[in-house]
This record gives sequence, structure tokens and C-alpha cells, in this order.
Amino acid sequence: MELLINLTINGLATGMLIFLLASGLTLIFGLMSVLNFAHGGLFAWGAYSGIWFYTLTGSFFLGILFALITGLVLGFITEKLIITPVYGNHVQQILITLGFMLVLTELLKVVWGPNQMAAKVPSYLAGSWEIGDVLIIKYRLFIIFVGFLIFGIFQYMLQKTKIGLVVRAGVMNKEMVQALGINIKRVFLYVFMAGSALAALSGVLMAPYSGVIYAEMGFEFAILAFIVVVIGGMGSFPGSLLAAILVGLAGSYMAYYVPALSLAVNMMLMAIVLIFRPQGLFTAKG
Amino acid sequence: MLGIIAIALAIFPFVSDSRTWTILLTQIFIFSILAMSYDILLGYTGIVSFGHAMFFGMGAYTTAVMLKRIDPTMGTFILSIGVGMLLAALISFFIGLLTLRLKSHFFAMLTLAVSGLFLVLAEKWRTVTQGNDGFTFKAPEFFKDRIMFYIVVLAILVLVYIFLRRFVNSPFGRVLVAVRENEQRTRSLGFNPLHYKVIASVVAGVIASLAGSLYAVSLRFVNTSVLTMDITLDALLMTIIGGVGTLIGPIVGAAIIELTQHYLSGLAKDYPIFERWIIFFGIVYILAVIFFPKGIVGTIREKLWKRSTKKDAPKSVPKKEDL
Amino acid sequence: MTTLLKVDGIHTYIGQYHILQGIVFEAREGEVSVLLGRNGAGKTTTLKTIMGLTPASKGSVTFHGRDITKRPTYETANKGIGYVPEDQGIFGDLTVEENMKVAMRKEDEATLARQEYVLELFPDLKTYWKKDGGHLSGGQKQMLAMARAFVHDSKLLLIDEPSKGLAPIVIEKVMEAINEMKKTTTIVLVEQNFIMASRIGDRYTLIDDGRTVQAGDMQELIHDEELKRKYLGIG
Repeated sequence: MELLINLTINGLATGMLIFLLASGLTLIFGLMSVLNFAHGGLFAWGAYSGIWFYTLTGSFFLGILFALITGLVLGFITEKLIITPVYGNHVQQILITLGFMLVLTELLKVVWGPNQMAAKVPSYLAGSWEIGDVLIIKYRLFIIFVGFLIFGIFQYMLQKTKIGLVVRAGVMNKEMVQALGINIKRVFLYVFMAGSALAALSGVLMAPYSGVIYAEMGFEFAILAFIVVVIGGMGSFPGSLLAAILVGLAGSYMAYYVPALSLAVNMMLMAIVLIFRPQGLFTAKG
Repeated sequence: MLGIIAIALAIFPFVSDSRTWTILLTQIFIFSILAMSYDILLGYTGIVSFGHAMFFGMGAYTTAVMLKRIDPTMGTFILSIGVGMLLAALISFFIGLLTLRLKSHFFAMLTLAVSGLFLVLAEKWRTVTQGNDGFTFKAPEFFKDRIMFYIVVLAILVLVYIFLRRFVNSPFGRVLVAVRENEQRTRSLGFNPLHYKVIASVVAGVIASLAGSLYAVSLRFVNTSVLTMDITLDALLMTIIGGVGTLIGPIVGAAIIELTQHYLSGLAKDYPIFERWIIFFGIVYILAVIFFPKGIVGTIREKLWKRSTKKDAPKSVPKKEDL
Repeated sequence: MTTLLKVDGIHTYIGQYHILQGIVFEAREGEVSVLLGRNGAGKTTTLKTIMGLTPASKGSVTFHGRDITKRPTYETANKGIGYVPEDQGIFGDLTVEENMKVAMRKEDEATLARQEYVLELFPDLKTYWKKDGGHLSGGQKQMLAMARAFVHDSKLLLIDEPSKGLAPIVIEKVMEAINEMKKTTTIVLVEQNFIMASRIGDRYTLIDDGRTVQAGDMQELIHDEELKRKYLGIG
């Protein structure tokens, strides 16, 4: 029982980190049919910049804030420099975002060096609670909390605000949204920046969780996010939460019970979904 | 012209005794083969695969394992190439059949995932692959002399080039280009695009496996790095920078990238910034995608072609956009 | 009467296809102008080109005396052109209310008054106010699309085949609504159904193979059997 609870919390925490990364990806895809292969680079940049600022100031909160700002700024640059020139051409988009991923990863090594960097959990989130026989690590609960909080905020914005309405409408029919007088390119820029900030947030939260950060972590983690986007349905925000939790839990249980399969299980999950239900489990209707 | 270059390259090791250059050129030839195979997908058929490394790795492992387990002879070497190509053909056929119906994004992601699976498999199946540590093996006696291997690889490169040129210039190859340009229309003309895409991916996979076999022998060592994304990225960079949709392009791209890499990593001893040489390629690559989507060879060819024939086409045909 | 919209010799390519090869037409303020022509003549593309969805490569579109040929779609829309596409472009996962909200530029009194007015015209929309757009019937979707374009405060409405696929009784309702909207808005209508077109149209423009072949008073066309036979296949 105790084991099961811990595995579940573990899986949920990982799932939330993947969700933060995947939610931006799915909205960007839904709105503009851009699959951003550089998304993992923004994740790694969030981790490095946030941990760097956290170490500098001693405040984890300021580190998170700095990571978010980095995400917004990089999101702005990426959208303007990389995405805009190749709107509408899928092959070029795939190629160029992958190239940018490469550049982001290498630039990271130029700025912070090629070695791993250690990241500690801040003292007030360190340690664990003991409830009965179950030991619950505080930081994992913190991640789960932040994940649900972000989901709540974004879900509220998507459902209740005008900009959220426009985003949802844009996912269904871009032409019509423009014909109703909305500058969809600007909306897309905002969504892209928000998605990048979420990726950066995911990165900086991930850092103390895994203890070390390294430049290639972006790529490794982004694959999980892609899998989540495919399983959850491209463009579906709630879908990405459910799929992320699914992937997180599957990874956590598998790592314990069938370790040999833990890396493969998610890819197989995605392959099955792609072959039998390529639109994903949840889809935004047109 | 190309013949002269090939002959010059064949004579090269006999007039120069630079071991470094012989090895470097061998490497360029091998990657040229890989990049050309990738271009069959990207340039001629318009498919973006992020899993090309799996076929390269398949060839590399097949050859390495067979040379080690059976015996390091020419016969085994040739047999292993054949086995590797057969494996690649079967696997690319099944993967293609299942996935090529999907849209480009999904296909790119799925190939990424499947090649990821192969990487995991190679890492876990340690009894055969010895995982990330890899293993060394003996090359056939005939290849003890680096020059012999050099000549053989060059000959294979020339043969692959001739074969692929015939392939893309055949009626079959022209249908591939039609699929790239307008899949709907190709279908309405009575060709089944899936059929053509699958065969293109089988050809690409088989040739990539051949390149992998040669690569393993050139190093006399193999580890899981032959299955990583880096290999796919190399093929991608070479094809894009050299020129998609041409066969010379990938060869030029392979030469440029291998040479620059060699030169820059030499510089890195003095200036550590050059250890990050990949940034340089990344930027060139991005600029190429935006401004020279046809790459070096494609752009030059277009310039020459425009000069010789005045094209009488409407000037501002708007591109079909997604928006 | 003044000319509100002037389309002057536009050429439009879609991919490599030369769809419009010199369309000329005008919409005068307060009138219903109908674009007529066979299937594939270029009527829908003409509307899309006015909206900037398929930009013209040659020629000009002038609205209120201002050149809008190269303006992005959203600017054109905000200058006061409302668009009701052939497929209605309803946001299926959004409720009727939300569909209307997307179209509102501001939520001020004037806009809400316009919404009230248009809901009087289409009481069905009020009934299904909280229902998803995707679950409406074809006729209700058509009404929602028109209401949405109207609430956007458009001085000119481009409506693409509002009668397509609708039952005669629903067509009747849609026509009534257009007649009512006409009092406050100029309308450009693409219509295959000649009976409907002739009943509500003031002026017509005949399009064939991407070119304007004839334009004039609807009354004249009604009596010109030869023109109707030649280009519309009726009579």
C-alpha cells in the first residue's frame, strides 16, 4: 500500500512536469498547426536560467520567476525569428524547429558550460511528511500542487475570458476567427510565449526534483511531451493533462515492476494511439 | 566531370600518404551514402523522418555482430551487409506501411519514437550489443590496409550514386516527386501515394543500412551511438545544407560538414568555443531552411538554369498558405 | 446612391490555378447585390479575395473609398465587412453565446442592442443559447453565422450561399432575415437559387470562368431569358 501510494505520487509529480511542457505544445499546435520541436530547448533553458538565478539570489521563488521571464523572452524570439518565416509549410517548420533545438541546446553549453549542474530543493520544501507508514516527499506534493494550480488558471482563462475564447475558436477555425476581426497572429504570439513560459517553468521545477540538470535533458523530456500531445489529442488542453498523468503513472509503475519496459512503454502507447486513433484520445472539434 | 573527380579521389591515397586524409575522406564517403539515402525521403518524396538512424544502426550492428561472432572474413562482411539490408528492408516496409498514411508531423514523431525504441532495445540487450560501452571487433584481413577500405567505400559510393540516379530519374522517381509536389493530384491521376512512399522509404532504409555497415568497419567498433538522434541530425544537416532534391547536394553537404567539423575541432584545442561547432551548423542550417530551402547545390543549379532559360511564368503567384 | 464596395479587375491564384481572371463589380449602399454564376465560376473566391483570405495578385478592392486589397483579413473585417462563409464557419465546441462573443468587438451597449435585435430575427438562437454550435441544425447554423457577422457591426455583409442544403421553409426564414437586415446593412450575396436571388436582389453581377460577363438591375435579368439560359442554365 505504502509503496503504491509513493509510486502514485511519484508518477503524478512527473506527470505534472510533463503536462506543463506538453500543454504549451498542444495549444501551439492546435492554434497554428506548428509542432515545435524546439520546445524541449525552452524547458532546458528554464531549468538552467532558473537554477542559476536561484543560486545567485538564494531564493527559489525568484529563480522560478526568472525562469518564467526567460521563457517569455525566448518564446517571443523563437516565434518571431523561427516560426513566422515558415508559416504554412509543415516540412520547413519541422526542419527549422529541430535545428533551433540544436542551437538552443548548444548555446546553453556556451553560457553555463557543458557540465552537469546540481540543483537543490529549497529548505522549506525539503524533507518529507510521515502519515502513518507513508513517507511523503514535500517537494513532489509541491510540484503536483503547482501543476493543478496552473491547470486551473489556464482552464479558467480558456473558458471564461475573451482571449481564451478566441484561442479555442482559433483551434477550430483559424480563417473564421480572422474574418471576425481578430489578429490571429498576435494571439498566436501570446500563446507561443505563454507555452514557452510553461516549458521553462516545467524545467525549473524539474531541476531540484532530479537533482542535476544537463543540456540534453530538454530533448529527452520533450519526447515524453510529444507522446503526451499525441495521446491527449493535439490542441486539447484537458487532454494533455490526462495523458500526462497517464504517462507519468505508467512510467512510475513500470520503473518499479517491469524496469526493462519503462522506457519503451510510453513510445508503444503513442505508436498504438497513432496507428489506431491518430487524432488522439481527446480532440477539439472543427 | 563527376567521373574525373571520382578517378582523382581513387588515385589520391596512392600519391598522398596522409593517413588522416584517407580516414577523413572515407568518413565523408560513408556519410555521403547515408545523406543520399536520406534525401530520397526528404528531397524526393517530401517525407521528414526523424528515425533514419535506426537503419544506419541496424547495418552497423549486423555487420559488427557477425564479424565478431562468425569470423572476420570478406565473405562474412559481404553476407552481413546483405543481412543488414534485408533487415532494414523488412522493418522499413512494415513501419512505412503503418505510418506513412499519417500527416508529416505525426510521421516525424512516430519515426522519432520507433528509433527511440530501437535505441532502448540496443541498450538493454547487452548480451549482444554490450550497450553503451559497445565492443570492438576485427575487420577482414583485406581491410587492414586503410587504402583498400578507402577504395572499396569510394566504389560503393559511386555505385550507390549511379543506382539512385537511375532510381530518381525513372518513371517511378518522377511519381515520387509528383507525390511531394501534390499528393492529392497524384492520387487523382491513379497512383497510390502510399505505395510509392513505402517503396521510397524501403530504398532509403536499405541504403542507410549499407552506410551503417561500412561505418562500423571503418571504426572496428560499435556502440549505441549509431542509433542516436545525432546520426539522423547529421544526415539532415548534410542534406539540407548541401541541397535537397539533388544527389550531389548530400555529398557536398557531407564533405562540408565533415571537413568543417574536423577543422573546427582542431581549433577547439586552442579556443574552447569551437567545441560548440554544432551551433555554427545549426545557424547555417536554419538560415538555409528559410532562405535557401534548396541548399547549396539546388540554389546554384537554379541560378544556372534561370540564366539559360528565361522563364515565362506569372511573377507573383501567391503561395498557398495555411492561414 | 453611393458605391460602398468596388472590386476592380481582380486576379487571384489558388496554388497554381488562376481562379479569378478579372472580376469587376460594385455594391451600392443599402442594396442587395447578388453574384450569380455556375458552380466553379469564382463566386466564393471573389468573396474570399475581398476578405483577404485568398489575396489578389492583381486589381484592387476598395471599401468606403479606401484600398483594402492588401490588408490582412482581420483589418478588413474591422473596417466593417462581415463574412458568412459557405460552410458557415461555426465554432463547434463553443456555445451559441460564445460564438457571438467571439464576434463582438466591444461589449458595449450598442453591441448588446445589436445582439438583441438580431436575436429577435432568429429566436431559435435564443432557445439554444447555451447549446454547442456543433449540435445546431443546418438552418440554425446559417442563422448563427449571419447573426455573428451582424453583431460584429458590419456595414457590409458578404453571405455565401445561405440557402445551400436548407429546407424550403428554412430558406424562407433566412430570406426574411436578409430582407430585415437590408434595412441597416448593405449585402453581397452569392446564390445558386435563382428564385431566391431574384426575390431579394436589387442588382446582379454574372460571373463565368473567373470573369465578370454582365451586371445590372435584377429586374432586367429576370426578363432576359437568353442570358439566364446561357450562364445559369435556366429558363
